Amino acid sequence: MLGRMRDTLPFVIKADREGFLLIVNGEIPLPDLLEALRTKLEESKAFFQNSRMILDLRRRTFDPDEIHAVRALLEQAAGVELAEVRLGSSNGAFFRWAGAVLGVKVSLEGERERAAAAPQEPPPGAEPPLVVRQTCRSGTRIESPAELVILGDVNPGAEIIAAGDIVVFGTLRGVAHAGAEGDRSAKIWALHIEPQQLRIADVVALPPRGRKPKPKRYEVAEVKGDLIQVVSY
Amino acid sequence: MAGRTIVVTSGKGGVGKTTTVANLGTALAKKGYSVVMIDADIGLRNLDVVMGLENRIVYNLVDIVEGKCRTEQAMIRDRKLKTLHIIPAAQTREKDAVKPEQMKALCGELAQEHDFVLIDCPAGIERGFKNAVAGAQQALVVTTPEVSAIRDADRVIGLLEANLLKDIHLIINRLNVKMVKKGDMMSTADIVSLLSVPLIGVVPESEEVVVSTNRGVPLVHERGSRAGAAFQKIAARLNGENVPFDDDQDGGFLSRVKRIFGG
Ligand SMILES: Nc1ncnc2c1ncn2[C@@H]1O[C@H](COP(=O)(O)OP(=O)(O)OP(=O)(O)O)[C@@H](O)[C@H]1O
Ligand SMILES: [Mg+2]
Repeated sequence: MLGRMRDTLPFVIKADREGFLLIVNGEIPLPDLLEALRTKLEESKAFFQNSRMILDLRRRTFDPDEIHAVRALLEQAAGVELAEVRLGSSNGAFFRWAGAVLGVKVSLEGERERAAAAPQEPPPGAEPPLVVRQTCRSGTRIESPAELVILGDVNPGAEIIAAGDIVVFGTLRGVAHAGAEGDRSAKIWALHIEPQQLRIADVVALPPRGRKPKPKRYEVAEVKGDLIQVVSY
Repeated sequence: MAGRTIVVTSGKGGVGKTTTVANLGTALAKKGYSVVMIDADIGLRNLDVVMGLENRIVYNLVDIVEGKCRTEQAMIRDRKLKTLHIIPAAQTREKDAVKPEQMKALCGELAQEHDFVLIDCPAGIERGFKNAVAGAQQALVVTTPEVSAIRDADRVIGLLEANLLKDIHLIINRLNVKMVKKGDMMSTADIVSLLSVPLIGVVPESEEVVVSTNRGVPLVHERGSRAGAAFQKIAARLNGENVPFDDDQDGGFLSRVKRIFGG
């Protein structure tokens, strides 16, 4: 059994069609954020080298100096270019001005949503689920402060972590951790669960050895007593 | 004319990248195409050895990008095929002697004059990989049916996708059909389903490969070689020819069946 996850990062990095998306959570102080980000970048330097990063500030606001600091760190720690800053709908005019000063493209959530089909508004107070529309390959780590939906497989060597439920519309072969902040009622849903390891809150399970038959429709992992049970449907 | 630039890469070392480049280059040149193979494995060159051309090297890739020679001066012509050339790697230089932009420029220049530019990528995901990939429009990822090689191939596919190189095909090398049948090795279908990129060919495990490497004559010159035939099929598919996958030779691969619901 493991304790509550203490190492949950104050940000999420996910791959996007236009590069990487850096989503900053909550109200963590800037120096702590920069330090965590530096560690992450240095750990996976080769992975990020020369890539483009989009800074997503829909969950907190930054002033231009803070954006400057993040940009300098990205560049210096892993040669990452800050390509764009994405914001919520408030503060638009101010940030357009800031974008012009910084020479970085600024886009507002409302505009982007009108361009793509607008997603449903979550109930007030709830974090929206994170949706990843691709296979998570070896070396990828994805974290969500809420639910996590993967439209693809999760391959061996990949790790997916969520504070809430995890839904994989594909085969789960890597490591999945649902209820990472301690919620034992969280569940892991997948078309096929054949993982390296499953975790729900503080409960850890290794799969039994040997192949098991594919489920007809889907499988769900949940905590029963002090064990994780996987049921096929 | 704009030719195609294709990088052959793997993640894990020793799975058959150089063998693949030598055989595909030779097979495409035999079809009459003009082909240049670039050995981007700086410091560990061996494409020239596999092609039996190591004695003819005067200039190399680093000399070109440093302006010490013209591009044509570093291109060595194959002993048999007039339209096949290699640009050897520098044996005595570091991996960072070439920059991604320089590689891009060179590939662009070569693609103007030739039908295919094939790049032999070094193992790993560090700088050498970034260089080799920089100039390519298309990637062939080589893996053997071993779990560790497949894991690394998966990682490399993720990196390629993040670098916006999305035209990726898979080559499975050293497949041992007997072992698959006994259940001791992952089958082609399992590997393709895990990596979820389209398969372009399967090459059987074969002693002929080692013999041909030592002789410096690519297998596709050999009639009746199964591994050579497998590389020929891959070359044909690269060329857009419709070569069906055959169950026995290709290790029991069944292409994904699509169901279409009529209304
Ligand atoms: N299908 C095969 N059957 C048997 N042996 C093979 C096969 N393919 C490659 N080999 C052997 O495996 C070894 C490695 O092949 P090769 O040099 O092509 O790999 P590589 O991926 O280029 O290696 P590196 O990462 O070191 O550049 C060679 O000795 C080669 O002869
Ligand atoms: Mg090699």
